[in-house]
Amino acid sequence: MSDAMVEARGVHKSYGGVEVLKGVDLTVVRGEVTCLIGPSGSGKSTLLRCINHLEKHDRGELRVDGELVGYELRAGKLYERNDKQICAERSRIGMVFQRFNLFQHLTVLENITIGQTKVKGVSQEAARAKARELLDRVGLHDKEKHYPSQISGGQQQRVAIARALAMEPKLMLFDEPTSALDPELVGEVLDVMRDLARSGMTMIVVTHEMNFAKEVANTVYFLDGGVIEESGNPREVLTSPKTERLQSFLSKVL
Amino acid sequence: MTTNGDAVKVVPVRHVGQWIGAGVVTLLVAMLIHTLFSKLPSGQYSCSLVSGVRTCHQISVWRFSWTIVGQYFTTSEILHGLVTTLELTVLAMIVGIMLGMTIAVMRLSPNRILSSTAWTYTWFFRGTPVLVQLLVWYNIAILYPVISIGVPFTHLTLVHFTTNTVFSAFVAALIALGLNEAAYMSEIARAGLIAVDEGQIEAASSLGMTRRQTLRYVVMPQAMRVIIPPTGNEVISMLKTTSLVSVVGVVDLLGAASNIYSANFEEMPLLIVASIWYLIVTTILSTGQFYLERHFAKGALRSPPPTPLQRLRRDLVGILSKFRSRRGTLEVVR
Repeated sequence: MSDAMVEARGVHKSYGGVEVLKGVDLTVVRGEVTCLIGPSGSGKSTLLRCINHLEKHDRGELRVDGELVGYELRAGKLYERNDKQICAERSRIGMVFQRFNLFQHLTVLENITIGQTKVKGVSQEAARAKARELLDRVGLHDKEKHYPSQISGGQQQRVAIARALAMEPKLMLFDEPTSALDPELVGEVLDVMRDLARSGMTMIVVTHEMNFAKEVANTVYFLDGGVIEESGNPREVLTSPKTERLQSFLSKVL
Repeated sequence: MTTNGDAVKVVPVRHVGQWIGAGVVTLLVAMLIHTLFSKLPSGQYSCSLVSGVRTCHQISVWRFSWTIVGQYFTTSEILHGLVTTLELTVLAMIVGIMLGMTIAVMRLSPNRILSSTAWTYTWFFRGTPVLVQLLVWYNIAILYPVISIGVPFTHLTLVHFTTNTVFSAFVAALIALGLNEAAYMSEIARAGLIAVDEGQIEAASSLGMTRRQTLRYVVMPQAMRVIIPPTGNEVISMLKTTSLVSVVGVVDLLGAASNIYSANFEEMPLLIVASIWYLIVTTILSTGQFYLERHFAKGALRSPPPTPLQRLRRDLVGILSKFRSRRGTLEVVR
């Protein structure tokens, strides 16, 4: 087993003629936290969505846990994976969205059990037990009967993290998890993520929280215009940026 | 509000225009109710002989013939018609909802053949009057005298029968109403499916749900909130549209009423009988719709809307407290 959880080599993606990713190379080491930073429209979210195949990349090689995303290499040919295989792949990759995307018609507890029971076939009992354990971990054990609309944004995002963790993912993707939150609610979500990082989870985080990146990330990648402009140790990259673009970006966000 | 530490009463605005409007409406409603329960001279006289003197007076009857309405209201013919109406409504709606949902999902499919077939279906069945469709299905045997089930484009057949043995007037009516309804239901269902946030679908996919699971566990339950209210309207509309089936000889509620009045010439009383039954069923359906909507609003609203009883109680409490505070206010003004 190689120690790379995610490997991207020359990944391209366009939307209707507009090239969003123009050949991205990236390596995410197992058990490490990788932060993707960059201006909006730089392709950070698209790259994240290609990794769990919510978007199909057009060109290049993208591997998760050694396996090609969306394709299978057999006898020199790339076979597109069918829906079932893609779903199985996705179920092992947790994703947390900017706008939480909790299932509005289900209670907090049901949000966390539904993936376990319907996708993994876990019994209702076991799923509930696991959900309660996770709610405890994100500090929301008293909210299990609430509907998403009845709790704050920060609480919703913590539930969303618990929902993803319930699938026992080998990799967690965070797409600007704190961007839609009121400033005073950002901290509680970052705390949960810090805790998760400490537990050894492999994480890719698209974020504008530079302090979080500096403190938690092992590697940071700066994307601009669909390519990686700079990468490396966050303390070096974020404190003494080499490229002009990163310098001007950091001067705007810090 | 306080000035210099003393409590000051608040004088509410007087809505004079509203009061005049309410007065006029009340008067008109009172006049209407009066005519409902007024009597007309019948042109017939009843005479009596009291101590050798013959006195006659004209008999007056209800303007709305309530006596006759009462006589026919629960006759077995009317009740049979009512049952037929209800059967047709329920069955046609079941066909309409099931097929409509399927067509809506087809319409949203990335497969062009499926989506354009769905579009064409809706175009055709919404584009022709339901009465025409009813007549066409009733006469379908002219186009397709026999129906056989087998392998297409070969001579292998499993089942074979003449169309008229299967297509009774009731079946023709059911198919016509159901297929027509499916066209409308598909648009309603499509609106509901589209209304569900894209993010919900992405979240379901990211958990590893298949497209079918996403539709069933995530999209459909949330689409229901948008689908239920117009579907309720469709059920009520269907209840009344079934009255068309009397043209192909199905004896529904209106058919039963018209059968009776064509024999006894009491058109108005029997039309009133039918109308009252339609109103009763509509009222029951509306109540059911309210509770169904309330059920599917789960999670969408912070607190569910009050039931009619709760609202009535709140209104009464509101009026009482308003009345009390107004009295108090008047004292201050004086």
